[in-house]
Amino acid sequence: MYLPDFDYYAPDSLAETCEALERFGAKAKVLSGGTDIIAKMKSGLLSPGVLISLKKLEDLKKIDYVSGKGVVIGALSTHNDLVNSKILNDKYLSVSEAAHNMASNQIRNIGTVGGNLCNAVPSADLPPILIALGATIKLVGTKGERVMLLEDLFTGPMKTVIAENEILTEIVIPDQLSTGSNYIKFGLRRSGALAVVGIAVAVTVNGGTITEAKIAIGAAAPTPIRAREAEKFLQGKTISDDLLAEAGVIASGESKPISDIRGSAEYRRDLIRVLTRRALHKAINEGHV
Amino acid sequence: MSKDYAVIGKNVPKIDGREKATGAAKYAGDLKFPNMLFGKILTSPHAHAKILSIDTSEAEKLPGVKAVITHKDVPALKYGISPARWDENIFCIDKVRFVGDKVAAVACIDEETCYKALKLIKVEYEVLPAVLDALHAMDEGAPQVHDEYPRNINTEIHQNFGDLDKAMAEAHYIRKDYFVGQRTYQSPIEPHSAVSIWKDNKLTIYSSTQSPHYFQYYIAREFGLKMGDVRIIKPFVGGGFGGKLEPTGLEFAGSVLSKLTGRPVRTFYDRHEMFAHNRGRHKVYMELTTGVDKEGKILGVHANFVSDGGAYTSLGVATSYYAGGLLTLTYEFENYKFDMIRVYTNLPACGAQRGHGAPQPKYAFESHLDNIAKDLGIDPLEIRLRNARQPNTVTINDFGINSCELTACLEKAADISGWREKKGNLPKGRGIGIATGSFVSGAGYPIYRNDLPQSAAMIKVHEDGTAATLYTGAVDIGQGSDTALCQMAAEAMGYRYENMKIIAADTETTPHDFGAYSSRQTLMSGSACKQAGEEIKKQILDIASTIMSLPPDDLDCRLGIIFSKSRPTAKTITFEEAARRFFVLRGPLLGRGVYHVPRLGGTFKGAAVATSPAYSFCAQISEVQIDEETGEVDVCEVWDVHDCGQVINPMQLHGQVHGALYMGVGEAIWEEVLFDDQGKILNPNLGGYMLPTALDMPIVHSELVESYEPAGPWGVKEVGEGATNPTMGCFNNAIYDAMGVRIDSLPLTYEKVWRAMKEKREGKKEV
Repeated sequence: MYLPDFDYYAPDSLAETCEALERFGAKAKVLSGGTDIIAKMKSGLLSPGVLISLKKLEDLKKIDYVSGKGVVIGALSTHNDLVNSKILNDKYLSVSEAAHNMASNQIRNIGTVGGNLCNAVPSADLPPILIALGATIKLVGTKGERVMLLEDLFTGPMKTVIAENEILTEIVIPDQLSTGSNYIKFGLRRSGALAVVGIAVAVTVNGGTITEAKIAIGAAAPTPIRAREAEKFLQGKTISDDLLAEAGVIASGESKPISDIRGSAEYRRDLIRVLTRRALHKAINEGHV
Repeated sequence: MSKDYAVIGKNVPKIDGREKATGAAKYAGDLKFPNMLFGKILTSPHAHAKILSIDTSEAEKLPGVKAVITHKDVPALKYGISPARWDENIFCIDKVRFVGDKVAAVACIDEETCYKALKLIKVEYEVLPAVLDALHAMDEGAPQVHDEYPRNINTEIHQNFGDLDKAMAEAHYIRKDYFVGQRTYQSPIEPHSAVSIWKDNKLTIYSSTQSPHYFQYYIAREFGLKMGDVRIIKPFVGGGFGGKLEPTGLEFAGSVLSKLTGRPVRTFYDRHEMFAHNRGRHKVYMELTTGVDKEGKILGVHANFVSDGGAYTSLGVATSYYAGGLLTLTYEFENYKFDMIRVYTNLPACGAQRGHGAPQPKYAFESHLDNIAKDLGIDPLEIRLRNARQPNTVTINDFGINSCELTACLEKAADISGWREKKGNLPKGRGIGIATGSFVSGAGYPIYRNDLPQSAAMIKVHEDGTAATLYTGAVDIGQGSDTALCQMAAEAMGYRYENMKIIAADTETTPHDFGAYSSRQTLMSGSACKQAGEEIKKQILDIASTIMSLPPDDLDCRLGIIFSKSRPTAKTITFEEAARRFFVLRGPLLGRGVYHVPRLGGTFKGAAVATSPAYSFCAQISEVQIDEETGEVDVCEVWDVHDCGQVINPMQLHGQVHGALYMGVGEAIWEEVLFDDQGKILNPNLGGYMLPTALDMPIVHSELVESYEPAGPWGVKEVGEGATNPTMGCFNNAIYDAMGVRIDSLPLTYEKVWRAMKEKREGKKEV
């Protein structure tokens, strides 16, 4: 367990960062919190020739509310920044709670939101709740910037649409019509566990009827997925226990989990059934929690 | 503990607490010496392969590399810790036997160069078919892990006591159950490290060890050195739990590297390498058959086990005997058959882990006993009370039991947990379970045959009497023996704990002791320290009698004050005054103590294993909440009631119960070392190997019952391992009570509980 040799750069500006990424191409990797990449380099899974650190890009470490836009989360915000953000605690406690249930305090202190998203691990805890809330991301490269839905970021396990010269700079949770959201992480212990499955929902409830529902699931497929059939099923229906249970069954049917050391595919599918129901119940009754 | 004692029975501050809490304490991996080199071992990437060639030339050329060694550079003498099966070489000669087997080593100017050098060693292998499944290791035509052991049988035990056939014929009810354990690893917080210094024919090793004595013996043997020329020093150690009892490649390779380079060499394992070196708990496959009478009284038991030993023996011979031997302790029965086969596989070697050999069989037996109780309609507490071991009895396999308050433990656990109110009255999803445990207070015989005393101790009082130093070979690896032994020495001397110093676990300066294993030190090392303290007191009272002009028999010393027993108003003098006077007139004030175990046990094969001067007993009750949909197990509360004799330091004692229980909690629900189909560990790190976190710990109530053990100094006996033994069975029984499902393999994972509930709902499985 020892880091292989690599060259290290810490550019002063976003533009220089993108230029450096372009110059080094495939042999470069971005270093943000480092909680994932350093471990992978130590165990020999990755050996990039160049690490480009974002640590001098102070502007990317912020959580603000921008009127007309939404909650803007800089990509370098740490998980604990999410946990402790008053803005998030007030508006989307579900996001703070999702961050709070991740990993361990040491990792939450240094790991970043951008890293968690760009790493594109199927079991990551932040993508489901951010997708359910319709979050967008901004990618900045040498040729300009682009904004897209977070759910379009992922193309496979540890694969994204991010180009070699691009970095993710911010995540925006747009102002919501939804009345409640919730994320349930099912881990095998209460701290320091990866999600066996992670279920996020956002619902818009109007007088006993669900006008819109979004369900996003982690560790259920090669990328975080939307349970679109279940969402469609819920739309316009009157809330009942049976309705939510049926939505769970449908969402479970839409998932394509794998078997690994944390759980079999069969177990994961059943957990998705149960936890989708519970997450919906919570979001409907308790708001953004 | 009686109020008459001044020092023992009290919560004194831990003697090394300040150093540890402030980070001043130095562990083996913290030590630095001038010109020190760093050493690393190259290990096998294959579970089973022939070594065709090893080319070290490229590694040798790398700047900063000072030595590269393979089997050609080290003695070919096989070593091990169980003398019956010395089967390890410092480096593999002809073939490698598991992923992680030792092939070569380097010594370099820094750690980074070591890793680069290891990559430059070219080893050509011919991969062989591997044995990864213990149950097929004995098959005709299975690959042979060691040529010397046909059908991969490492240890085979067949013991028969009483008349089992007759007992079964007379039984009202017979039940057979089958359970499977799992591989777990001790996961001490401190990784193994050693600094070896071989200079002028003398070898000194600072090592994170549980036993300097065994290291000294085996290292001297391996290198053909006199024991007096091998010095083993234990710095602070961050936990062992059985995994640091035997010398490793670190000490052997480090020594040779130091000899070749003439410089100190620090060798160390990282977390992955610790998992690969292993010596953790064996996975045991356990079939139990028990016959009982109408009242649930056990008439006879047949335990039929197979265990996966991994590629080498380690302590596995003893583990195998312990697995069945200790089953006779908590419940009285007169007919017992124990069959056991430990097989070799191409996986890391298993050894001794907290509760050595006992916890998995105990999980099986406690689950099995609950099944029997249910079949007969007897309350689980009641069936245990009916069978509970009584004091002053002898087990069917010849272990003499003196003190035993198991009945009182069961009654108290039932009372404080509210068993009688809760049993049968808890809502669905909530359950309560019970189990018992017992453990040796020190193994009755050493690991290799010898006639040395178990422990010896020495006390030197400083010349002006203001301090006394206890010299003991006993090994504090975090459990607190340095503190407890200083309390015992001070009590025996009539002195103060605050003035005690200790020098421990250094083979050159401290008297012999076998070390920290089998929960032996409070009783055994404590006996030697008590005797040394009493010898000091006798001498101090003798000199005091001349100063005070009173007969020595009329004098006593308590907390450093010497007084007349018959004349409370007579002028007292201090220990310091008397000690100083002693030095002036007679020279150094020294006390010596030695402890031998009396001859124990029967004469049958394997009779020595699990003998002990005394046995602890305990009862555990736990309450769990099960998520009926996900199978999630929440252990809400645990009540542990121990009979561990008299108590030297209550806070340390309860700390041991919490620690042992913590390990039991982990092994019960979470921990398992997993392998892929090539024998590679899938979870060799603390992210993948699921130790419980602080948030996962239940509320723990640790309580005691009054007990006095005649074989122990001041009536003490074991506590450090006993509390691990009942836990897995206890939780399994609570899960059964909650949901009516019986999990027949460890760990009791959420998914297994979920699956068992599902199968029960679907009517697939009868319990």
